[in-house]
Amino acid sequence: MKIFVKGFSIILGIVALSACNKLDLNYNPVQPVTVPSSLRLPAIQANLAYSLYAQARFAAYHSYYVTTRTGNSNAQTDTWNYNNITRMGAWRWHYFDVGSNISGPAGMLLRAEEDGDNNYIGVGKIMLALSFLSATDVFGDMPFDEAYSGSFNPLYNTQEEIYAGVERLLDEGIEELQNVSSSASSMNANADLIYQGDYRKWIALANAVRARMKLHTANFTNGYQELVTLINATLTDFEDAVFRYPGTSTSNWEKNLWGESRPNPEWQFADIRNDLLNSLPTDVLMKTLTIDEDAGLYDPRLYKLTTPGTNNKYLGAKMSEGLRDNALPSGTTYQDFANLYNGYWTADSSAYPYMIEEELYFIKAEALYYLNDNQGALTAYKQGVETNLRRLGIEEGQIINFLGSSKLAQTAENLKISDIMMQKWIALYLQAESWVDIRRYHYSVDAYPDLYYPRFALAEWGGRYIQRFVYDPQTEYIYNPKEISRLGADKRDWVFTPLWWVEKSTLAGN
Amino acid sequence: MRKSLLFSVALGLIATTGTVAGEGLPAGRETPLLSDNVVQDIVKGRVTSADGSIAGATIAVIGTTVSAATDVDGNFSIRAKVGDVLRITYIGYVTQEVKIESATVLVTLLPDDGAIEEVVVTALGIERSKKNLTYSVQQVSGDDLRAANQGNILNALQGQVAGAQISSSGGSPGLPTEIILRGSTTLTGDNQPLMIVDGIRVNNSSSNGTVNRIADINPEDIEDISILKGAAAAALYGIDAASGAVIITTKKGKAGVMQIGGTYRAFVETMGRLPRQQQIYTTGTGGTYDESSGSSWGRKFRYDEPIYNNIERFFQTALTHDAGININGGSENLQYYMSGGYRKAGSMVPNTHQDKINFLMKGTAKLSDKISVTASANYVQNNIQEGLGGASAGGWINSILTYPLRYDILQYERPNGEPWYAYKEPEDDGRDARISPMWGVMRNPRNNNVDRFILNGSIDYKPLDWLTLNYRLGQDYTASKYRTVTTPGTPGAANVFQGRVTESNANSKYVTSTFNATIQRQFYDDFEVSLILGANSDYYVSDGLAYSAENLLVPDIFSPNVVDPNNKILTDNLASRQRYAVYGDLSLSYKNMLTLGITGRNDWTSTLSPQHRQFYSPSYSGSFTFSELINPDMWYGKLRMSYAKVGKDAPIFRTNTNLRQVTTVGGGFVVDATGGNPDLRPERTSEFEVGTELGFFNRRLNVDLTYYKRESIDMIMTPRVPLPSGYVIMTFNAGSLWNKGYEASINVIPFRNENFTWSTTVNAWKNISKMMEFAGDIQTFKYTNAQLNAGSAATTLDEHVLGIVGRDYQRTEEGYVIIGNDGYPLIDDIEKSIGNREPEFNIGWLNRFSYKGFDLSFMWDFRFGGDILNASRQRMMSVGTGYDVGQWRDKEFVFNGVVAQEDGSYVRNEQPVVLNYSFFANNYYQVGTNFVEKINWARVRYITLGYTIPKSLSSRLGVKRLGLELSAQNPFVITNYSGGDPEVNSAGPNAGGSGASTMGVDNGAIPLPRSFSFGLNIGL
Repeated sequence: MKIFVKGFSIILGIVALSACNKLDLNYNPVQPVTVPSSLRLPAIQANLAYSLYAQARFAAYHSYYVTTRTGNSNAQTDTWNYNNITRMGAWRWHYFDVGSNISGPAGMLLRAEEDGDNNYIGVGKIMLALSFLSATDVFGDMPFDEAYSGSFNPLYNTQEEIYAGVERLLDEGIEELQNVSSSASSMNANADLIYQGDYRKWIALANAVRARMKLHTANFTNGYQELVTLINATLTDFEDAVFRYPGTSTSNWEKNLWGESRPNPEWQFADIRNDLLNSLPTDVLMKTLTIDEDAGLYDPRLYKLTTPGTNNKYLGAKMSEGLRDNALPSGTTYQDFANLYNGYWTADSSAYPYMIEEELYFIKAEALYYLNDNQGALTAYKQGVETNLRRLGIEEGQIINFLGSSKLAQTAENLKISDIMMQKWIALYLQAESWVDIRRYHYSVDAYPDLYYPRFALAEWGGRYIQRFVYDPQTEYIYNPKEISRLGADKRDWVFTPLWWVEKSTLAGN
Repeated sequence: MRKSLLFSVALGLIATTGTVAGEGLPAGRETPLLSDNVVQDIVKGRVTSADGSIAGATIAVIGTTVSAATDVDGNFSIRAKVGDVLRITYIGYVTQEVKIESATVLVTLLPDDGAIEEVVVTALGIERSKKNLTYSVQQVSGDDLRAANQGNILNALQGQVAGAQISSSGGSPGLPTEIILRGSTTLTGDNQPLMIVDGIRVNNSSSNGTVNRIADINPEDIEDISILKGAAAAALYGIDAASGAVIITTKKGKAGVMQIGGTYRAFVETMGRLPRQQQIYTTGTGGTYDESSGSSWGRKFRYDEPIYNNIERFFQTALTHDAGININGGSENLQYYMSGGYRKAGSMVPNTHQDKINFLMKGTAKLSDKISVTASANYVQNNIQEGLGGASAGGWINSILTYPLRYDILQYERPNGEPWYAYKEPEDDGRDARISPMWGVMRNPRNNNVDRFILNGSIDYKPLDWLTLNYRLGQDYTASKYRTVTTPGTPGAANVFQGRVTESNANSKYVTSTFNATIQRQFYDDFEVSLILGANSDYYVSDGLAYSAENLLVPDIFSPNVVDPNNKILTDNLASRQRYAVYGDLSLSYKNMLTLGITGRNDWTSTLSPQHRQFYSPSYSGSFTFSELINPDMWYGKLRMSYAKVGKDAPIFRTNTNLRQVTTVGGGFVVDATGGNPDLRPERTSEFEVGTELGFFNRRLNVDLTYYKRESIDMIMTPRVPLPSGYVIMTFNAGSLWNKGYEASINVIPFRNENFTWSTTVNAWKNISKMMEFAGDIQTFKYTNAQLNAGSAATTLDEHVLGIVGRDYQRTEEGYVIIGNDGYPLIDDIEKSIGNREPEFNIGWLNRFSYKGFDLSFMWDFRFGGDILNASRQRMMSVGTGYDVGQWRDKEFVFNGVVAQEDGSYVRNEQPVVLNYSFFANNYYQVGTNFVEKINWARVRYITLGYTIPKSLSSRLGVKRLGLELSAQNPFVITNYSGGDPEVNSAGPNAGGSGASTMGVDNGAIPLPRSFSFGLNIGL
């Protein structure tokens, strides 16, 4: 017995000893835990393009650019009902794919800090600011202070607080880029796919983002003068911030998500796969791009933004109705409409815009308009249109013709806010920022003369217009029910609750 | 010994003669003796066993030196007279003594496999006398298992175990089956018990939504299965014991003449109960015909338009062959068992089949009086091809349920093999075309090929009478290849349209090494002490490469070799886990009357954070056989009680965060969607159990009752988490819940004589559960892979664990539906709990009849209550193929409900409205309660009729035994369910890898098939 007890203890001892050594194997040996910032930035930039797309995927319908072909078929875009969705992809793209990779618990900023790469910190913060701004403009209140704190039920900051936070991020980002450390790792074209490491351009983008944000609130903060100053300073260095895709690629990951091949690189995000195939240009879009329908005379950009349909006709479909619109000529098929693919913004190889120069001109035009500088406004407005025409590759002669056409306001006295807003709307084709503008103006016909209430929006909504997205039902509603119910986001009609800057807006229609 | 009766009857089911088993009384009493009272000097007789006649048995007349042996047919003659007592001995069988009462003596020997003094296999393979057991263990014999004729042994267990909720994901060889003992213990992650085969842990994963790997084990090789349901029973498994354990013991060699057995079975499988569709409306939306629409919301079919019943047309009748052979025998010092099996299974799902080979070799050698060794090697090849590949949320037949009835589902390709598109727009090259789901089934199957070796070696050393040392080393090695192909031309995103092949290879290993020292001593005759001390190491490693290759340059070769390098993604996967444990088990018995047991185990695991890495699991139990006090021979009565605390560790590699490479423009690394949690603690489960065993009428009536309450604390989940945390998925300690329930198992032998025996077993159980506490502010947790538009599988605080949440209509306080001023019911604003997926009550009722050479057994399965979330119907309603669309669409209807008046009162609604498309789309199928159904069923799981032809005939054919068998599996189900077969578990046990139980969620489930089989078994 003694021998046995001894033997047994020895065996136990051996087991216990070996246990101490071998239990430390819970680290995945074939995946890194950290990599230099230059290996993080490209993916963040690619993800920001995806993220902005994820917002535009639905905002493009709520902005009346396009509508479903069959009509009354898509709950979100035709009936404005977000109650039965499983996931809200746009929420993930912002918080995880972009945000967490920048400032999450395993984000780029940590490593950049360790390595003293404050250039990456600067660029990271500016991108984070842009991502937060675009996200709060579709979601409203959301976690900011407690984001990435490890909490599963973080406080939702008000949009006003988020705006202040975005501005802080922009300031800090600019500050870093103005003082890039000499020991910082280089940021070359392989690391920075947007500006190839040109910090001046990043600073200009930061200010452009600031201008976009200031425009949302200028009407109730009396901020137009400040805005004009900011724009003028920004325009000198600004260059389009777009994420470019290769001319040809067979990879699902290297395509613009609006593209014809309808890529869905992350298979679980089928909800953000584009549906332009089964969508039609709206009557609003067609009216805006038509100069004289009987003469078959159109804005030259029509042929750049879309491609001709099979029947070479350019009908427009009513929002939410599609081919169900009885006013369409009998026998109308989708082939009587323009093809939405392979336009300037909708080809597999199209660049995806973070922010483009035209937007700055239109911001300036709008600001000057409200400062009663109609002449200045007209000039900025024309600059915006011209920049857009040139971008789309319109021939010089056509540019001159169009700029002088009756489609555009030609004199300061005749310049209406709707001229500015509709031209901005065309220039920002499919971008979610257009939905911001429309909501700022309360879907008003003063600014958007061709808008109307969609026929198939549910009677339940009582004639209200859609104002926001729901939070991700699969996570936020589960983990943070107190905040959700404090905000009222558990109500069926939550998406009709106006955002902060809509509620405050003094613009037309209120 | 008493309890043995039923057990041996169960074993004797396929016995040839009207076997009468020995019971608690002296062995010879019940042996059938003839009584023609003729006095003779020569007595003739025959010795048989359940497996046929016994050759070479020794017959001795007690008190004399006369002896004889049986011949090849088991016959003997011996000089003896009426009144003498014969002793019949044969190795491997229990010696019997028979008093001669006539000139002919027939003796049936019972195998000496422990069945007499009934022992059950408990944790760590320790055999315990059932008498002294202090917790509930239910044992299922291999024969009862085989009578079910199921390829997957978990399916064969259905109804045989009180408290085991077994649900398969549908009828197809590649689909997994989930077993949950005593309720769900975690909301994501594995709810299934530990699987042990001959003392070593084996793989029961069902990665990629394919079959759960325990199905690799050949049912023919199984001696019996012990189900350790409670924490106390499984406590010696410590950190692995939270969900109970299933202990499988395979057959072993028996000393004696070599026995060869062969079996062959052929199955015909046809479809079972199918969901219904409308056959009135063709494609379109909103009532208008539209060829381009995939919805069936168009106008009515014209009389000249064909309507295809596509669900029925899709499923086929298939044939399955299953053949096996086993050899067993040996001497006193060396016994062997060998078996081989081959199964070629078809399926009612086209292009779906299975090829399975099993080979098992097992030997035990007694090297000396003190040392014996056992070794076994089991090889399994299991290759399954599946036509229908579900997504992580299930949905196998959704595409069939929604395919417009105007198209023939069987038309899917051109004669040259190119796809036949049902509808395609002129500009479209096919990417966005509509095609019959049959195309995918026939051309894009998935394959899962497994080669598996289970090696097991064990050495027993008995240095002293009272001491046994045992060391066991086992390895379960699985090499698995999972492959999917997409034939070019398959509609979908560009990369899919150009063809794709993905393959995932993994070699996984479970290595279990166990050392046990068992001390067994008796004191003062009445006390018995047994002490087990042991140590255990459990290592798991899985290593594999996976690739995905898109855009096939050569369309008919599915290989990365014909793909541009930019379109290939290669991934290296590695996971490993180490656990160590030391444990002890002390058991003290007094006079077979009082038993006390204490166990303790300490675990160390690699998957938890260093500060929480250690875990201690104690158990305390006792039993009191009170019948020993009063008339112990007349009845049997025992009370048992136990308490245990066990646990669970975390999934592998969840304590830190990794980066992952991406293939976006510019490449680089991103945060892995699954974030690390450095604070993971073990999940703890504590369980209290009390039960009683009662036996009456010479143990012809036995009742076993159990009550348990199990609490799971700090449950570990790996769900989607709020994105502002910076991660998408994370493992964390998420809350606490309890399960409690009752289990009853009743065995009765209502009738028994020489020729005819009827025995019956009823297993009944009920489990209820409640979510006690959630981490943070969670009120309702929805299962990621079971969120299906109108409703979600979910758990709500203070509600049933296996719940359903969704929206209901607005209701008055009295429960009337509130109707809006437009005449349509109003949808409630807030989601709430609207169902419980757990059955309210279950009964499995097994009957066995034997009459001469005939054996009949059948299993009834009753389910009372419990809800199904019928997402299949919801989906069919939304695309217009649902049966109720045909019944109700465009009809005028007055909703039963009340309308609110301005003064706050309600009046009955009388406004007729039309049930148009808008109503269905925007109202009806957004309301979860419209798709929750409370289900009852009565079904026969199987009926098996066997016939063993008389010895006289079989010996003329040159075989010892010849049996024939006719059987039906799932022949019918009576249910109130509106869909297909109500046994549904949309995503199986490993839903999308995250493992939420989707029991009771019908999301395009493949209905269980109905099958009929013919079998033949031969003994040589």
